[in-house]
Amino acid sequence: MATIAVAADFRWNIPPGFPKPTVPAANPMSEAKVELGRYLFYDQRMSFNGKESCATCHRQELAFTDGRAHAEGATGQAHPRSSMSLVNVAYATSLTWGDPSLHSLEEQALGPMLNVEPVELGLKGHEREYADRLRQEPVYRRLFPLAFPGEAEPYTLPNITKALATFERTIISMRSPYDRYRWSGDSGAISEAAKRGELVFFSSERGRCFRCHDGWNFSSIRYDGSQARADEGGADGFFNTGVSLYTAPNRGAYEYTKRPEDVGKFRAPTLRNIAVTAPYMHDGSLATLEDVIDHYVAGGKYDDANKSNIVRPLKLSDRDKKDLVEFLKSLTDDELLRDPRWSNPWVNR
Amino acid sequence: MMASCCIWAQDASVVQVTGDVKQALSLSADDLAKMPRATARTSNNGMETVYEGVWLHDVLKKAGVPEGGELRGKALTTYVLVEAQDGYQVLFSLGELDPAFVDSRILLADTANGKALFGAQGRFRLVAAKDKPGARSVRMLSKIEVVQLRK
Repeated sequence: MATIAVAADFRWNIPPGFPKPTVPAANPMSEAKVELGRYLFYDQRMSFNGKESCATCHRQELAFTDGRAHAEGATGQAHPRSSMSLVNVAYATSLTWGDPSLHSLEEQALGPMLNVEPVELGLKGHEREYADRLRQEPVYRRLFPLAFPGEAEPYTLPNITKALATFERTIISMRSPYDRYRWSGDSGAISEAAKRGELVFFSSERGRCFRCHDGWNFSSIRYDGSQARADEGGADGFFNTGVSLYTAPNRGAYEYTKRPEDVGKFRAPTLRNIAVTAPYMHDGSLATLEDVIDHYVAGGKYDDANKSNIVRPLKLSDRDKKDLVEFLKSLTDDELLRDPRWSNPWVNR
Repeated sequence: MMASCCIWAQDASVVQVTGDVKQALSLSADDLAKMPRATARTSNNGMETVYEGVWLHDVLKKAGVPEGGELRGKALTTYVLVEAQDGYQVLFSLGELDPAFVDSRILLADTANGKALFGAQGRFRLVAAKDKPGARSVRMLSKIEVVQLRK
């Protein structure tokens, strides 16, 4: 990423103790830009045929996922992988399931817009028409100049991605019941089963989950940019967990690095709101949280040379497994799933 | 590997110090509160925590281990095995814990950001703030065993 600044004066509404996201100097936050990004995010006119918006695959009520094993594009083509949650994406040091070098939300937004294999929003070749549509919409005629003041021609693809990225940076989840228990001193915020599940999750002798899903955001990607456990997890916190046979195009980081040791290595995404983001894994091959736990108890479905040595059989009782599920459910942040600040602004206008 | 039943067999509210020490100890939070206090600061994915507790070395000193000028010869074949409630174990050498040798600053913490430790932290934990990974910062600390290999 190019020069990085910490946004000092934007009102993030972040609970005490949690860090603020870093923001690229080239795309500072503003309320107008957030609002523009939200309108763009939910606007089906972003797809060439008007059938899909970003929100089609990133639905607020599913923590910005879509409930499908494979995301589906505007022409009905299936994506090889499942839609990732956008929760706390502002803190991700790399983006998407398998690309260790994609760091910029602005750059990532171009993928779904312009990709042709598969077609997602299908904008490639239609960019000018899209800009014209924006120019004609009163909402955008008001918001683009406010978001990009002083620009004679603000209806550009870079500005669209900047606005989208700015809205995405505000999708922050830090107020689950577990957060209230862990960080705010509310000892009654989660059930006794969830408290027992927390102990399983954070024990390297029992669940071992934290080895990949670590820190306040339960993921492998380090916010401070430092390397994750390079010896076990690959260069940047990507792990092969024995989920599938890992054939093209789902060979994980290998698709980008071309290093044989990276075959099957995917990121460990955040577990926040995991109870509402089924099905699981890069290919949606595990339907329920119980299936995921059974997968790890078995030490993964497939053995392969690249499988992380963190993934080996676990000894968990039936009660341990149930408690673990209760703990994972306590990571669901209802505010994130319902708050109008992240909802569709086109409805009820 | 310990079965999960054994978790509840250990008393979570004290740290046992046993083995090749002059005085075995069973330290509660109240006991630690009366000892010289110290702090260690960590940053985890941008989240800052200030832990408070007692230097691990001061706990060992209270139990009576060779230290400073006495830590020579066979005494330097002594290790300190730190164990968590779930059976997780980490080993330190006695030499590396002694500030007369090196400033490793391993803290036995009972407080984080002013609040007593709880939950998956346990009541007590180690904080090895100078370590790069967290693997030696044992949470849910229950036992410290001192073993001198050559006597």
